[in-house]
Order: sequence, then structure tokens, then C-alpha cells
Amino acid sequence: MTATRHGTAVIEFPTELEVLITRQFEAPIQLVYDVLTKTEHVRNTIAPFGEVVTECSFDVRVGGAYRYTFLAPDDGRDMTFHGQFLEVEPPTRIVDTWRYDGWPDVKAVETVDLSESNGVTTMRWLLTFADKAGRDHMTKFDGIEANFDNVENYLRQVLDKAGAAA
Amino acid sequence: MARSSTTSDVFNALAEADRRAILSLLIVGEKPVGQIVMDLSMSQPQVSKHLRVLSQVGLVKSRPDGRHRLYRLEPQPLQPMRDWLAKFEQAINSRLDRLDDYLQELQGQGDSQ
Repeated sequence: MTATRHGTAVIEFPTELEVLITRQFEAPIQLVYDVLTKTEHVRNTIAPFGEVVTECSFDVRVGGAYRYTFLAPDDGRDMTFHGQFLEVEPPTRIVDTWRYDGWPDVKAVETVDLSESNGVTTMRWLLTFADKAGRDHMTKFDGIEANFDNVENYLRQVLDKAGAAA
Repeated sequence: MARSSTTSDVFNALAEADRRAILSLLIVGEKPVGQIVMDLSMSQPQVSKHLRVLSQVGLVKSRPDGRHRLYRLEPQPLQPMRDWLAKFEQAINSRLDRLDDYLQELQGQGDSQ
């Protein structure tokens, strides 16, 4: 029985253009790299809630393209992501452009860095948006986008303390 | 009506750094205006103005205490924001959980071969 690390991702907003997600996996680095880059693996893991994946192609070399589509859980519309690989350094680093057809104006660069220690692989997954409007698509909640970085930190502080005191 | 959003919306109320500082101060307990003025080195009118905004959106409540008025934090209006944040986290974690399960599955297959 392997220890589960479910739900342990740390989500941060290091600057107003970035979303940084850090997560550990009980698996060797090469396997994690393969699962993130090989089509036959990606199609099994790419949809967040197990939605049907209708298209998945990965040409993992600098300048190569990737594209995947899954069906939205609510209305079945296509959700297509695509881009081009900028850096490919197995098994530690992948950098690619990140486009989502649902947000045609949003441009981002996705950087995945992997490192392994004692059989545990740490994934550092950074999305860097070309402009703040782009990142706010990801983090938008009514008025909150105006100051999301601070508000997010603030909320944790207040609600955690309030919860502890209750 | 540019100002109305500031005073009626909890998100806008929180977007101001000084108001967050006041709320952070109130986490530890209720305080009179004078104490907030001293702790944050802000002017009394400034603090009073911010407390008024925070009271209007329900993040701060006050009660009289002798000659003073004590202000305290009411975290309840923050809950919708936390709920939203939790959903964002859930979507990301759900995908990574699937990745985790899949990695375990692949390794399990490797062991049994």
C-alpha cells in the first residue's frame, strides 16, 4: 500500500501573471515525465473530472505541437487545449505555449519542472500568462481579480484563524 | 456610482490594503478605533472611514464599551470567496489525483510482472 498524496497540491500566485502549482507523486521521475508527455498516458489523465477525451496528440520535441480535447461535463462542448513545445529536457523540464480555445485572447507559457528525491517526484507547474487579463480568466470571481494575490493570501490567514478560534 | 461598489461589495472592500490590515489586526480580538490608529500608524479619520466601509459590507461589527466603541471581525461574508477558491483547488487537485492514481496503477502493474 503506497501512501496517498491526494489533494496536497500547493497553489500560489507568485506574481500577477502567474499561477504556480506544486505537487508530489510517489513515483520515479522518469515515469512522471512519461505520463505527462506520452500520448497514450496523457489521454488517461488530462481531463480533470474524467471527462471523455476525444483528441490527444503530443509531438514532444522543440517546435513540436500538442493538442487535446475533452468534452465539458455540463454541456458536452469541446474543450480544446493546444500549443507548441519550447523546451524539452527529459526527464526534468518541459516548456510549452498554452492556449485554450474557450479563451481565444489568453496566451500563456506552461513550464513543468520535475525533481526526484527518495522516490518521490516533485512537480512544479507554472503557468505564466502574457497579461494580467489572461491570468484573471483563471482566477476570476466577480471583483476579486483586482487584487487576487493579496486577497487569496489574506483569506487563508483570516479564515484559518477564524476557523481555529471557532 | 463608482463609489457604491466599494461600499456594497465585500470583494472591493477587501481590495484595499489598509482595510485588509485593519481586518488582520481584528483577527486577534476586538479593538477600539484609537488602538487601530496606533497599531497601524494611520490617521483617525482614515481608520474611521475604512471601518465604515467594512461595517457596511458586514465584515466588521461594533459594540459600545463605556466611552469607547469596540470593533470586531465578522468572517462570515468571506465564505463565498473561500468556496470559490476551494472549487478552483478542487479542479486542479482532481486532475492531479487522477495522475497520482494512474502513476500508482502503472507501478502496481510493474510490480506484478
